[in-house]
Amino acid sequence: MKLRFSRKTLGIPYAVFLVCFVIIPMLVIVFYAFTDDEMHFSFVNFGKFFSDPTKLSTIVYSLVIALLTTAVTLVIAYPVAYILARSKMQKKYILLLLFVTPMWINFVLRVNALREILAWAGMLGEANYFNTILGMVYDFLPFMILPLYTTLSKIDNSLYEASADLGGNSFTTFTRVTVPLSMPGVLSGMTMVFLPSMTNYVVSDMLGNSKVTIIGKFIETYFGTDWHMGSMIALILLVIVLASTLLTGGFQSENNVRGTTV
Amino acid sequence: MKKRIFALLSAAALLVPCLASLSACGENDSILLRVYNWEEYIDEGGEGSYEYDYEVNEDGSAPSLVEDFEVWYEETYGTPVTVEYSTFGTNEDMYNQLKLGYTYDLLCPSEYMIMKLAAEDMLEPYSEDFFDESNELNYYVNNVSPFIKEKFDSNTMAVGSGEARWSEYAAGYMWGTTGLVYNPEYITEEQLDLGWALMLDESVKGKVTTKDNVRDSYFVGLAILFEEELLDLKARHEAGELSDQDYTAQVTDYMNRTDEETVAKVQQILLDMKENLFGFETDTGKHDMVTGTIWLNFAWSGDAVYAMDVAEDAEDGEGAVTLNYYMPKESANLWFDGWVIPKDEKRTEETKHAAEAFVNFLSAPENAVRNSYYIGYTSVIAGDEMFDYMADTYSAEEGDETATDYDLSYFFGEGDYVISAPAEQLKRQLYAQYPPEEEMLRCAVMDYYGENDERINELWTQIKGETLDAWAIGVICAAVVLIAVGVLYTKLGPKTDFFRHRPRKGYKKVSSVPVSYQK
Repeated sequence: MKLRFSRKTLGIPYAVFLVCFVIIPMLVIVFYAFTDDEMHFSFVNFGKFFSDPTKLSTIVYSLVIALLTTAVTLVIAYPVAYILARSKMQKKYILLLLFVTPMWINFVLRVNALREILAWAGMLGEANYFNTILGMVYDFLPFMILPLYTTLSKIDNSLYEASADLGGNSFTTFTRVTVPLSMPGVLSGMTMVFLPSMTNYVVSDMLGNSKVTIIGKFIETYFGTDWHMGSMIALILLVIVLASTLLTGGFQSENNVRGTTV
Repeated sequence: MKKRIFALLSAAALLVPCLASLSACGENDSILLRVYNWEEYIDEGGEGSYEYDYEVNEDGSAPSLVEDFEVWYEETYGTPVTVEYSTFGTNEDMYNQLKLGYTYDLLCPSEYMIMKLAAEDMLEPYSEDFFDESNELNYYVNNVSPFIKEKFDSNTMAVGSGEARWSEYAAGYMWGTTGLVYNPEYITEEQLDLGWALMLDESVKGKVTTKDNVRDSYFVGLAILFEEELLDLKARHEAGELSDQDYTAQVTDYMNRTDEETVAKVQQILLDMKENLFGFETDTGKHDMVTGTIWLNFAWSGDAVYAMDVAEDAEDGEGAVTLNYYMPKESANLWFDGWVIPKDEKRTEETKHAAEAFVNFLSAPENAVRNSYYIGYTSVIAGDEMFDYMADTYSAEEGDETATDYDLSYFFGEGDYVISAPAEQLKRQLYAQYPPEEEMLRCAVMDYYGENDERINELWTQIKGETLDAWAIGVICAAVVLIAVGVLYTKLGPKTDFFRHRPRKGYKKVSSVPVSYQK
């Protein structure tokens, strides 16, 4: 008998994965967020969160830290990706590799190494917020470079030629051709940096000496003692990220193929 | 479609018990003992094991205590046993695991978690046979230190709606205190005289750390808050007005206050302390002490021993640092980790017997020595083997003029349990492992907070969280909303495209193909 896979059957593994690891956990989180200790439906955690200035301040701080991290990574990554994508170098893959290899080294090890350098420079404990943002930029840079590189290198060279033919100088070409066409990559990179910057508390613990608290740390702490509040914070974070993705048009991907990563 | 989703869901539901039964069907005739312990909290064999007079594996490596137990149990009781050994990182992780429905036969939580489990009626008492001192295989009752035994017998905890002695439900494993590890190069005796309040002192600003967990930090806050009261108790005890027992009991009472007023005051103290701290840490403190990044570190005694060991033999003495340990004058926390048996209706008598035998095996003096050596924490087990091991480790060399007699009979019992140790050891490892009897009197066990648990956890949120003025939150939220509205407007409002070339004025928009081309 010949084995035949229809499209539908091929989709089953993904559907199972989706149900087990995305949909069910999400429902569990929503369930915990809106129940109290006796598992009765309640808005008590919602109320507690929005009536506590400390929790609100923390989420605002996380937002600002994440935005700064995203902005700095973008500023660093764009020129790098642009130069890499446009250069005619034979061995540019090696250069790209240099930016990406750190990703293959254990994350905790890298943060530890950075911690030692900061301690040596006398900055550890002196500038906790700066150190945290520095650590995150260092850590998430490849996530920004890769999608940017992919979209930038996909831009057809004839478009640049056309722009030049029509009298555009290199600046106009950059603003009118390169930037608009690289937007999918920019958005994809931003999403990939923004979310972990709000939750990756290992960096803030190690480099900010746990004196910097981001919202991910709260989720972790609450899951030790109070799952309901932990779930509520996780849910609120989810809504924030979802909203920012919707606003930047991250889901309108019919026309613009978004950049991918390795 | 609905049918299909349902089928998928039920398939997933079927999968779970299948996997569970896979792991359950081991050898039928052997007892399965599920032990859940802290990470790196047992002699795991191999390098780093104590070179004791015991059999080694065929390849010459040292076996782990768990393997040794399996062999010992079968030899002693004739029944094979398989230990399923797993580990956890925090008491809370362990508790969550239990709540998720995982079952174990033996757990090793800390004292407050034991109290919490007991209060929620999740523990099973040890059997009567376990306490039979005439049975020489009952190593635990025969070797446990009189000091620990007294604590476990005299203290009670809530069990369900009733009350019971600790010893009925828990057998000690490791114990210790909390105090300060300090670098004597930077910290003077006068500074230490400030007690816990040193952590608030300007002189150590940015050079002191505390633990990144609420219980340890709350303890420090309490000790600073009740400094006067605690010192008053100490003075009255020294003047003979208070008996030893009353002194300990009253200190313990202060260190267990969790009423609203106390918590509010401690919160303020800890917020002030945060300003003075280098940071909160979980395990970077030891390293930062050795490198000199910090001078003062709140530490558990076992970690303190480890930090002092590492610091003194850093790379051939180069960069070696001397670190000391100190229990501040007000009070210190006395903690235990102990073995408890969680309730499980399906557990057989045989399994419970094996669980108790496991505790006994670990309490055999030679095994306790192996564990102590490997883990670096202090075992609750006394006995001559343990004393000899400590005497070997800490005795002064012959001719050492600083040699001072250090009496450990409070821990090891009646007899000649005195170590002649170099004077520096009275501030260092020996002191951290076995503080002198009179200092133990001010050590307080901090109970499970019970119904005030949530209040204390909330305090921690307030300490750790960021603070912004209300107006700042308002401004930032308003900015976010404005940006959101702006983005939405550009998306949904009249179509404009910032990047596209706009026609110059006077250009006519060509709406359709010119007539002349039609045909």
